[in-house]
Amino acid sequence: MLFLAETVISGLLTGVMYSLVALGFVLIFKASGVFNFAQGVMALFAGLTLAGFLTGTIPITHRINSALAMPPWLAITATVFVMIGLAILIERLVLRHLVNQEPIILFMMTLGLAYVLEGAGDLLWGSDVKVLDLGLPSGANDWLLDSFGLYVEQLEIVAAVVAAALVTALAIFFQKTRIGRALRAVADDHQAALSVGISLNTIWAIVWAAAGIVALVAGIMWGAKSGIQFSLSLIALKALPVLILGGFDSVPGAIVGGLIIGVGEKLAEVYFGPLVGGAVENWFAYMLALAFLLVRPEGLFGEKIIRRV
Amino acid sequence: MLYREVGQFKTSYAADQAIFPIAQDRWFVIALLLVAFLVVPFFVTAYTANAILLPFLIFGLAALGLNILTGYCGQLSLGTGAFMGVGAYSAFKLMTAMPELNLVIVFLASGVITAGVGMLFGLPSLRIKGFYLAVATLAAQFFLVWLFYKWGWLRNYSATGQITVPPRTFFGVLMTGSSAAPAAKYLLALAMVTVLALGAKNLVRGRFGRSWMAMRDMDVAAELMGIRPLPAKLSAFGVSSFYIGVAGAMMFTLWLGAAEGGDTFGIQNSFLVLFMIIIGGLGTVLGSFLGAAFLVLMPIVLKNTMVDTLGMTAVFAKHLEYVIMGLLIIFFLILEPHGLARLWQITKEKLRLWPFPY
Amino acid sequence: MDDVIHRTALTVDFASRIKFNPVLEVMEIDLSHVVFANRELVRQFYDEVDRQMAKAGGRWYFLINYDNCTVAPEAWEDFAARGKLANVQYSNGTARFGATDETRKAIRTRAEAERFRSNLYETRDEALAILATMRRRHHFLGRGSRVDPGRAADILLKIDNVSLRFGGVHALQQVSFEIERGEIVAIIGPNGAGKTSMLNVINGFYHAQEGSITFKGEKRPHMRPHIAASQGIGRTFQNVALFKGMSTLDNIMSGRALKMHKGLLWQFLHWGPAQKEELEHREAVERIIDFLEIEHIRKVPVGRLPYGLQKRVELGRALAMEPELLLLDEPMAGMNLEEKEDMSRYILDVNDQFGTTIALIEHDMGVVMDLSNFVVVLDHGVKISEGPPGEVQHDPVVIRAYLGMGH
Repeated sequence: MLFLAETVISGLLTGVMYSLVALGFVLIFKASGVFNFAQGVMALFAGLTLAGFLTGTIPITHRINSALAMPPWLAITATVFVMIGLAILIERLVLRHLVNQEPIILFMMTLGLAYVLEGAGDLLWGSDVKVLDLGLPSGANDWLLDSFGLYVEQLEIVAAVVAAALVTALAIFFQKTRIGRALRAVADDHQAALSVGISLNTIWAIVWAAAGIVALVAGIMWGAKSGIQFSLSLIALKALPVLILGGFDSVPGAIVGGLIIGVGEKLAEVYFGPLVGGAVENWFAYMLALAFLLVRPEGLFGEKIIRRV
Repeated sequence: MLYREVGQFKTSYAADQAIFPIAQDRWFVIALLLVAFLVVPFFVTAYTANAILLPFLIFGLAALGLNILTGYCGQLSLGTGAFMGVGAYSAFKLMTAMPELNLVIVFLASGVITAGVGMLFGLPSLRIKGFYLAVATLAAQFFLVWLFYKWGWLRNYSATGQITVPPRTFFGVLMTGSSAAPAAKYLLALAMVTVLALGAKNLVRGRFGRSWMAMRDMDVAAELMGIRPLPAKLSAFGVSSFYIGVAGAMMFTLWLGAAEGGDTFGIQNSFLVLFMIIIGGLGTVLGSFLGAAFLVLMPIVLKNTMVDTLGMTAVFAKHLEYVIMGLLIIFFLILEPHGLARLWQITKEKLRLWPFPY
Repeated sequence: MDDVIHRTALTVDFASRIKFNPVLEVMEIDLSHVVFANRELVRQFYDEVDRQMAKAGGRWYFLINYDNCTVAPEAWEDFAARGKLANVQYSNGTARFGATDETRKAIRTRAEAERFRSNLYETRDEALAILATMRRRHHFLGRGSRVDPGRAADILLKIDNVSLRFGGVHALQQVSFEIERGEIVAIIGPNGAGKTSMLNVINGFYHAQEGSITFKGEKRPHMRPHIAASQGIGRTFQNVALFKGMSTLDNIMSGRALKMHKGLLWQFLHWGPAQKEELEHREAVERIIDFLEIEHIRKVPVGRLPYGLQKRVELGRALAMEPELLLLDEPMAGMNLEEKEDMSRYILDVNDQFGTTIALIEHDMGVVMDLSNFVVVLDHGVKISEGPPGEVQHDPVVIRAYLGMGH
């Protein structure tokens, strides 16, 4: 029973991490209809940049100059600005020229973007595995271990808290601010939004910046857990079943979907994996999401779609 | 010779429906094939065959397969890499179980097996669409790769985890392994690709092609015209997987000689082939091959320039190659979202009217 | 013109001007030199026609002589409203309808809108020749045939008590009507009345929660759209639903999907049976292309065509199915006058030449009046009226629905 509880809790906390990545996808998909495959690489890029700032690495040469090492708060702020700059750059150089293209073209663009960011990240900061030391707590939570005998990683608890804070902040941003309202307007109908004077270019830049910051948070969490390395860009793939479960454009869907996938995957790994030779976590989440979709094509939170002709 | 269609009158609907209705096009293609079959073999070396010609033909075929599904039928798939793997493992099992089997039959049978697997994974397409389906095909990608690793029977329980091609001849000529003549491999691959490409062209201009495109452009209207979604979509999945499976079988037998699960048939190949059809042009047979040529040649050119000419380190060049490749893809999408085939078509239209602009 | 009207007698002996020709199955009406100076005379005329028809029973074609016939402006409305009684008319070119300039203009417009152009001939012989062909084609009477007791109705489609809901929204509520073989039925109503939903139910795209649909005498429960298609229901859409990436030719060829059967391997080879089949159907499609006068855009991707032509290609695609029942969802929406006239002509010709039964949704009342022999009016998912266009047009319930007063 305790083991089951540990598995479920661990699954929930991993699920939170998936939700974090999925959230970045949802933000961009909602506002611009772009299926941003580069979200995972953005997390990698943000993580690499942050690690570079923290250690004082000189870009391209990969040499470390400790005089340039920044304290964590400064490094994070600087990385936020880098991600905002990146978003503006993407909007100016790419999105602006691809207005009104078909979704598949925009999707391919993000694949190209993933290549660019991956190459650029490695060029700038080097491709070796980096330890991200932000002073986040690690090891088991003593209180839970002592009082319930549960082994829960402190870092994962932090991640859950951060994710919750981020989601709350985003929800407030979407519901209460003027920009948030504009974002929702754009998500509903591009042309109608344009016609009431909302600037699509600005909105896109803002959304990509927001997604960049979400990516940074995801990068920090995953990076603190397992170091910053190429495989970080693959966590994007983990977020995809979360997306089909929760829907591409639903923030609550991303959260709940992430939790379901996290728990389902852990349970499958522990109880079903050994029966078939293990390593089922690579595809189990997809199968779970797929089976769910076959029963309910509109996803967790989607409304039943009435097709019109 | 001027590129004109003036004076070429069609007197029957058959002539009007020919693959190359303009005479100059017809002659150009025939000449190209003659050169490819009769001239190129004399110049093939092991390097040109393994680095350029075989990858081009095999990826061209796989791209053609994906283009049937994605370009013609509008169903986005990210499982190409794994489906090539199904073709390769089928070929391996067939060749080891039946050593006497003719290579062409091995290829075709591998294609048929892959078609079956593809149709199975195509079933969700009846209920889910667009990017949701794309993600669903990722399920196929990961599940199949996992199966390649976990199911020892597939690789005859080889200890290395690899499958290695056994030596096989085609009408007395050694075709597999490193001691086979590059020209022989090239000719076999070329013949397969030529016949299959012609067949694909026939399919897409006939009733199947129309039902696929109808599904792609407006599935609701298609259904109201009496085009049933199930056979239309599944036939696209089947035909597409057949081509991809044959490509995978040839990749393993003729080109690589050995393969191992996700290393050879991973998601990076799914993306590579998808890039090929986007850059080449969705919904064109020609575009599949143009895209394949571009993406096979570009890394070679980039590497040669950066490492050999500019003297960069291999690692640095590799990273820069990623950036350049990504930038080129974005640049192409902005320049001509409909791909190289569209550029080619526009050029031809201009040429037809040349020297007058309209 | 005024003096003409003043000089005219207020009564005309219509009884003596109506003759039956049993050999030709024709009711000949001589309106030469008649001046319809007021509505009363028009009423007298139609009353007489009705009386004679009731007496004679059976089905008749009408052959009307309009030599030097004049219809005054005030009488025009009534006259035209029931004017479709006539299948075939002729005059020596001296028919005068109306008197004022405005009326003449209106008439000219209406005349151009097909109704008179297609049926008005110069001599009696010409008119008779046409009648003979029409009879050969087993043409039915135009409007009025519904109330004709002598004819057994041939019901092609029967909608019985159909209700359709989306969640709490009632798209259709207990709608019933019938469509007879060979006629043109218009479904009209304000926006959001449930017209398109009705068509969607007919061809199986939506499934009604209640009620039944009987097509060709067979009651069909939940039916998939492609089965409806294979039973002979063709369709065009409100917002053109063509296959944008395909050429005009391929679009229309795709309408033959149900008629082509050669398998994958033959298609792969192309030569032989597949090509033979392809060419057979290509010929049928070329006839449609010819009929719709779109030869010049055969190879053009439809996405590049102007709207009016797209609508025409869509009609072609539906025709390629050789449907028995053709559903047209606003075939003339967004068209200019000339395009509307063309489209009206095609619709009438389809009905005429292929005997296709047509149900259409249309907002332009002029078009509805000119094309259809029967009108069904929907409002808020409820059938509020049905009948011949002339009657429906003056039905106070319908007028209220359109003006949005009280429900």
